[in-house]
Amino acid sequence: MSIQVELTYDMGKAIGEHRFEVEAAATVADVVEQTRQRFKEGGDEFAKLAHVTRVAVNGVLVKHSKGMKTALKDGDRVGFVKASAGG
Amino acid sequence: MIKGYAGRVLEIDLASKQFTFKPLDEDIARDYIGGKGYGTRLLYDRTDAGIDPLGPENPLIFATGPLNGSVAPQSNRFAVVCKSPLTGGIGNATCGGNYAHGMKRAGIDVIVVSHQSESPVRIEINGDRDEVNFIDASDLWGLGTYETQEKLGKKLAHAVIGPAGENKVLYAGIVSNERIAGRTGVGAVMGSKNLKAISITGSRKLEMDDPEAFKSYTKEVRELFKDHPVLGSSMKRFGTAGIVNTTNGRGILPTRNFQRGHFDGAMTISGEWMEDHELKGVKTSCIHCPVTCGRDVEIEGKGVVKGPEYETLALMGSNLEIGDLEAINVWNYHADDMGMDTISLGASLSFAMELKERGIWDAGVSFGDPEGVSGLILDIGHRRGAGDEIANGAKKMSEKFGGHEFAMHVKGLEMSAYDPRGSFAQGVEYATTNRGGCHVQGASMYMESVGPLTINPQNMKLKADIPVLMQNNACAINSMVLCIFTTYGMIPKAIHEMDPDSFGHRAISKVFENLGPMMRLAMGMKGKPMMWFEKWLTYITGTTFSSGHLQEIGGRIFNLERMYNLREGLTGKEDTLPPRMLNESIFENMDSGHPLGELLPRYYKIRGWDADGVPLRSTLDKLRLEV
Repeated sequence: MSIQVELTYDMGKAIGEHRFEVEAAATVADVVEQTRQRFKEGGDEFAKLAHVTRVAVNGVLVKHSKGMKTALKDGDRVGFVKASAGG
Repeated sequence: MIKGYAGRVLEIDLASKQFTFKPLDEDIARDYIGGKGYGTRLLYDRTDAGIDPLGPENPLIFATGPLNGSVAPQSNRFAVVCKSPLTGGIGNATCGGNYAHGMKRAGIDVIVVSHQSESPVRIEINGDRDEVNFIDASDLWGLGTYETQEKLGKKLAHAVIGPAGENKVLYAGIVSNERIAGRTGVGAVMGSKNLKAISITGSRKLEMDDPEAFKSYTKEVRELFKDHPVLGSSMKRFGTAGIVNTTNGRGILPTRNFQRGHFDGAMTISGEWMEDHELKGVKTSCIHCPVTCGRDVEIEGKGVVKGPEYETLALMGSNLEIGDLEAINVWNYHADDMGMDTISLGASLSFAMELKERGIWDAGVSFGDPEGVSGLILDIGHRRGAGDEIANGAKKMSEKFGGHEFAMHVKGLEMSAYDPRGSFAQGVEYATTNRGGCHVQGASMYMESVGPLTINPQNMKLKADIPVLMQNNACAINSMVLCIFTTYGMIPKAIHEMDPDSFGHRAISKVFENLGPMMRLAMGMKGKPMMWFEKWLTYITGTTFSSGHLQEIGGRIFNLERMYNLREGLTGKEDTLPPRMLNESIFENMDSGHPLGELLPRYYKIRGWDADGVPLRSTLDKLRLEV
């Protein structure tokens, strides 16, 4: 099982990677915890930012499903998304 | 004369090289404010149905509003209105830079350019001396917008076209400084008139009803903007490109001609990446605007030039499946220099790439490969070879080659960079907006999918209500004329900074999502000015403007545009989305595409239109709209 994780720019800077894969994460909460543990440097900063950032699985905010308990399957994409505006 | 207006309309006849100054029609100013609204009223009243958009009967109307010429942030934009050669319906676009400021300094609210010159010409206007000079522009014809403006000098404010306008590329725009009135082909109309540039100067000052109140309140607004997470932080740091990663994360970043909504290489075309790797020099802004959303980058052989913004990065980056920021910087420069709208250009290029992918027609460019794109953009601007076909836009290309189901346009105008399958209200907005598939005629996506509210963008709640309110609001804003980015300040800092999982945040989003009719009622109330632009209008003109007043005026403008389109033969059948958007799912929680069929009747009902999308007589009467 492989989950693609994509971070906001600031989160990525905290741990030194913006895009990576995690193995065997059953829920979004698992992804956050595994990422925090995997990156010794910046992991805590990542976890802090993760709690004030929206999370989407395959583009759909987990808020509209089961939040951090949203179940994941092989090939899912977990994206951390900031609110923004463009033109 | 109402305060805030110069009080003059300049009528220019390019065929006879004559001009006259006429008084501004105060009734139109009261009912339509100025800018897009005033221009649309003139276009409707002065033209017959069925005129050739590139013929002499199509007037080119430059219009400012009462906020222009003031120091209010985001307030130096002008609107251009004409019949669109791209859609055959209402054409309009707004533009920053310094030209709007120049018009008001010259004591002119509106310029109407009629008929056509037999040879290339440019116009110089001195508002202080009431002079209008027609000058041979043969020496400038063929030059790009950068060199043209350089040759014209910095003493006057300019609105110019590049080779794309001269060659009537159907999505050519009009450029002022480094900004462009990009959409619907207004630059092609200017080119059809053999008009290369209008340059303007004057030294008049804007008269206000309550200048002291305006001045002190504007100071407050500057502070508010400075402190706002979007206008004072994200836009300032990353420009509009700060949204690339957000739309990508939400699955609505157009990728491979909208075949997908996620691009693996998004980070390298994002504003954050640009901030750390590409930015050079000062971040630019329109006159008096503290937001500084412009980005400067350096490209080989040209030095420091304007960098790409979100729409360009998406439509000419992810949508072509190309994540090479340096290449996009160069293409953006070429598009600006040619004077072309990068939204329509990008979507026309992606359509050409998909035609090639399907073995239908080969323009020599492919998804994922920057090779050949640069030269093709120049060929489009000059209408050479395959570029001559792509210069006609996705709709006309699909009529010639086929591929209607994946030609990404609405009413002929190529769609902006928010995939409506993940933003239902934005989809309704695209489908119903009178000028076609555009996001800055409402910006519903900010309320439902990319902004700080966490309402579900993929259910039916509020998805027909939001576009009506936002379109009306945008019509008013584009008539003041204010930058649509001001809309992004409408959700206060406090909501931005709330924990999205907190009870308070969830409660606000839920309330917002479930109170459609009440929200319409609240926004329709005529009370005291609340938002900054309502207060500015009130202080400048002396007339009270509240949300209710602007909803009414905006609704009047929107319905007038609608009546114009109906007169030109664009009916409710054109209120649709590309078949790919309706039939193909890119989200695993959806079996099909955007549910427009269910939402459109609701939208029509809220608008007060019949089942065919025609405004009811009672709706027109309520809006005091004479047609």
